[in-house]
Amino acid sequence: MSDEYNQNNTPLEAQSSETMSGSSSSATDIDYVRPAELSEQDLYHAHSWITKWVFCQDAKVIGVQYFLTAVFTGIVGLVLSWLMRLQLGFPDLVPFITAEHYYQFVTMHGMIMVVYFLTALFLGGFGNYLIPLMVGSRDMIFPYVNMVSYWMFFVAVCVLMASFFVPGGPTGAGWTLYPPQAILPGSPGSGMGIILMLTSLSLFVIGFTMGGLNYLVTILQARTRGMTLMRMPLTIWGIFTATALAMLAFPALLVSCIMMTLDKVLETSFFMPAIIQAGEVLDYGGGSPVLFQHLFWFFGHPEVYIVALPAFGIVSDLISVHARKNIFGYRMMVWAIVGIGGLSFFVWAHHMYVSGMNPWFGFFFATTTLIIAVPTALKVYNWIVTLFRANIRMNTVMLFCLGFIVTFVNGGITGIFLGNVAVDIPLSDTYFVIAHFHMVMGIAPLMVIMGAVYHWFPLVTGRMLSEKLGKWHFWITFLGAYSIYFPMHYLGFIGVPRRYFEMYDSPYMTSAVGMNEFITVAALIVGAAQFIFIYNIITSLRIGKPAGKNPWKANSLEWLTSEVPPVHGNFGEKLPVVHRWPYDFNVPGSKEDYIPQTTPPSEVINAEVEKT
Amino acid sequence: MSDNTLNNLPGGFKGMAHDMGSDQTAFKGVQWGKFMMWIFLLSDTFIFSCFLISYMKGRSSTVVDWPNTSEVFSLHVGSVPVPLLLIAIMTFVLITSSGTMALAVKFGYEKNRKMCAWLVLATAIGGLTFVGMQIFEWSKLIHEGVRPWSNPFGAKQFGSFFFMITGFHGVHVSIGVIFLFIFARKTFRGDFDTGKRGFFTSQKSDYVAIEILGLYWHFVDLVWVFIFAFFYLW
Amino acid sequence: MDETQNKEQSASTHKIGIYLWIWGLLFVLSFFSYMVDWFAFQGLLRWGLILFFMFLKAGLIMAFFMHLFWERYALVNVLLWPMTAIACFIILMAAEAEYTVFTRALYFFTGG
Repeated sequence: MSDEYNQNNTPLEAQSSETMSGSSSSATDIDYVRPAELSEQDLYHAHSWITKWVFCQDAKVIGVQYFLTAVFTGIVGLVLSWLMRLQLGFPDLVPFITAEHYYQFVTMHGMIMVVYFLTALFLGGFGNYLIPLMVGSRDMIFPYVNMVSYWMFFVAVCVLMASFFVPGGPTGAGWTLYPPQAILPGSPGSGMGIILMLTSLSLFVIGFTMGGLNYLVTILQARTRGMTLMRMPLTIWGIFTATALAMLAFPALLVSCIMMTLDKVLETSFFMPAIIQAGEVLDYGGGSPVLFQHLFWFFGHPEVYIVALPAFGIVSDLISVHARKNIFGYRMMVWAIVGIGGLSFFVWAHHMYVSGMNPWFGFFFATTTLIIAVPTALKVYNWIVTLFRANIRMNTVMLFCLGFIVTFVNGGITGIFLGNVAVDIPLSDTYFVIAHFHMVMGIAPLMVIMGAVYHWFPLVTGRMLSEKLGKWHFWITFLGAYSIYFPMHYLGFIGVPRRYFEMYDSPYMTSAVGMNEFITVAALIVGAAQFIFIYNIITSLRIGKPAGKNPWKANSLEWLTSEVPPVHGNFGEKLPVVHRWPYDFNVPGSKEDYIPQTTPPSEVINAEVEKT
Repeated sequence: MSDNTLNNLPGGFKGMAHDMGSDQTAFKGVQWGKFMMWIFLLSDTFIFSCFLISYMKGRSSTVVDWPNTSEVFSLHVGSVPVPLLLIAIMTFVLITSSGTMALAVKFGYEKNRKMCAWLVLATAIGGLTFVGMQIFEWSKLIHEGVRPWSNPFGAKQFGSFFFMITGFHGVHVSIGVIFLFIFARKTFRGDFDTGKRGFFTSQKSDYVAIEILGLYWHFVDLVWVFIFAFFYLW
Repeated sequence: MDETQNKEQSASTHKIGIYLWIWGLLFVLSFFSYMVDWFAFQGLLRWGLILFFMFLKAGLIMAFFMHLFWERYALVNVLLWPMTAIACFIILMAAEAEYTVFTRALYFFTGG
């Protein structure tokens, strides 16, 4: 008896017969899966309308709630971007947009998009819906806390939106909220606006801690029989690592918010140095503004990976399903996600090269930043190799995946420029930075979100989205987004500063006027094109082609539920038993071009499956 | 997971590889609620670490002298100033309550309802005493002129960091005390024996909840160990 | 019934002695920490002793009261490795504080 199988020490008591796979005991050696370690989850069953649709504890409903709220905030952010672009492209066209208002739009656009839209959408929206389904569990392990986490997010959004209506308006300090300006007069919204922003962020952190606990523990401790960590879809790996980052990075944000709130409300001097304001010596003294920057970016850098990693995971799954090919180098993709996640805590001050911090730090952080580029590049190579000689279905989902790869590579390469201290110094705080982070955090993950909606809409609603409308939506969005952000690299190179209300009269700035007009027109067109998407969703809900079960012929568990759309409890009477990874596409010797995760080895005995 | 099965699993580094590579659960023998509490505590550790790091940075970069903590935090016994006396008593109380909590967990798993309930109550009372002393300390310092925005003893940031860090810790202790009283009542009533469903969560009660609360309480004690060392002693 | 119950729980419960020993040890270490201030040690000796007793107390609480000594190695690793990020933050912020006080001395006091 080889040591590896330890048949003598069968460690576990068998639980009830409920979870044994269907095959008879005589053919089970190759079909053997360990019996269940734990008894079935004790699910809460809602009985009233309120507990079914409002304070619902079912992760699928909570996922849709997060999705809708996040999309609402995203639309607010989108409208703010139109206002900003109107001012930059056609100054004085809209007299309402004063300098103060412009900075408020800049700030709210940034904070909404990064935190309230992207993070909430990926972790709260996709995470809640897909995690229990993809790991084979009936729901999250603590549904009550999951429900509370959504309502905390909702309250946080309400507080944030309320800041538009208070005297002084919302804060205009930039999404980075740097002190001392953020809490001093002269910055828009330095009264109630900044306080509401900090309060909203604190509520967001508390809510996401609760949600994050659910996602992590469900993935680690509530998988179904046969589902090892290395058989999970990369979507789960991406969301899982992002959640782990969120649990460890949000504390720094919470701490900096609390300290800034105290600086504002109680006139403490955590971040406030000795200041003379309009000739008056203020009561502050001894504080350190750069401390805020360190705390903020200790959060801020993992935050951008919290946005990027779920996108990486999801796009891997979308590519492999729609190219009918296993993701190339699955294990390395997993280690790359984990490695990027771990390293992301050691690169934060590459956002601070020009802040006046200890100059020696530049060496350390530039080094770590270049190191983190390695696993990221590895992932890009693997996506491309996955597509090589694959049976690619050029549908809307695949188009968005290809759009992701192109825009992410573009944004990633400009990141290498910015990661080096010397090159960053002239480029910092210019449009080059704006181009970089929009490409890599805005366009690329957004392409993934849209592709993911086209991909999973049939599961959530039972209907397909229109391919025709989808392709129009894709091409306008993709080409339009490129038209918006590619020229910005040139603007940045010639030195046009970011967060400037107007271009002024200097010769090199006026040379950018034409470019700015072009970008604005493109932005408005792309914004309008999103109505195609919304129209597609709303009409397909009623007249979309019925999807049936597993229309994409995918392998992962979310497509193998008893009902489509999945109902409370997800899998019906018996939980699924997993025998393989979700990437068995076009396996030589197999009848179909896909082998779902629950297919036992005895059914595909002639196929040359990988040992996973 | 029973003791037998846990003991039969490989240990050490090989055990970690085995656990991580296994299906269903990555952390054998760790109930969901307990694991959630551990992750929450890890997150909370990062919060307090960020506070203490900010304090370190603030104190190390001050050009105005930092107050002498032995003097500021001394209590007068008669006319003799005893440095850090109140803090020493607070530490004693918190460590005692940690001990009673650990014993409560032990008796809980042995299904000894009475001992468990009395020990949880003792822990709650210890926690309440700690909060009371912390409030007394705050009022004493406020009386002497220490404010979040300034103080008569030295650098401005002393008061701000003091109130913020001990305040945050005190809030954590208070929340713990509330839960301890609730759980003491549940234990006395026998809810953990009968598996009565909770009011909010509708989940069945089990003695593992005492262990979970115990983890939180020990964390609160752990943070105090660090605050005591860095803020009062250093 | 009792025997199987005890077998079931012995991973979670231990003899009362061990709790009392650790408890006592914590009091002793707290006393030593306090003595560091009483004897007014200064400089490296003070800081070294403070940190030493602090880590020892923290370790005892985590290992025995929080049960980590008996938990699987995987759990211990998952909890301790993230501390390296904190350690990096601590070291860098100490350096930053040095630099801040250096620039304050330079610009505010020497007119540099």
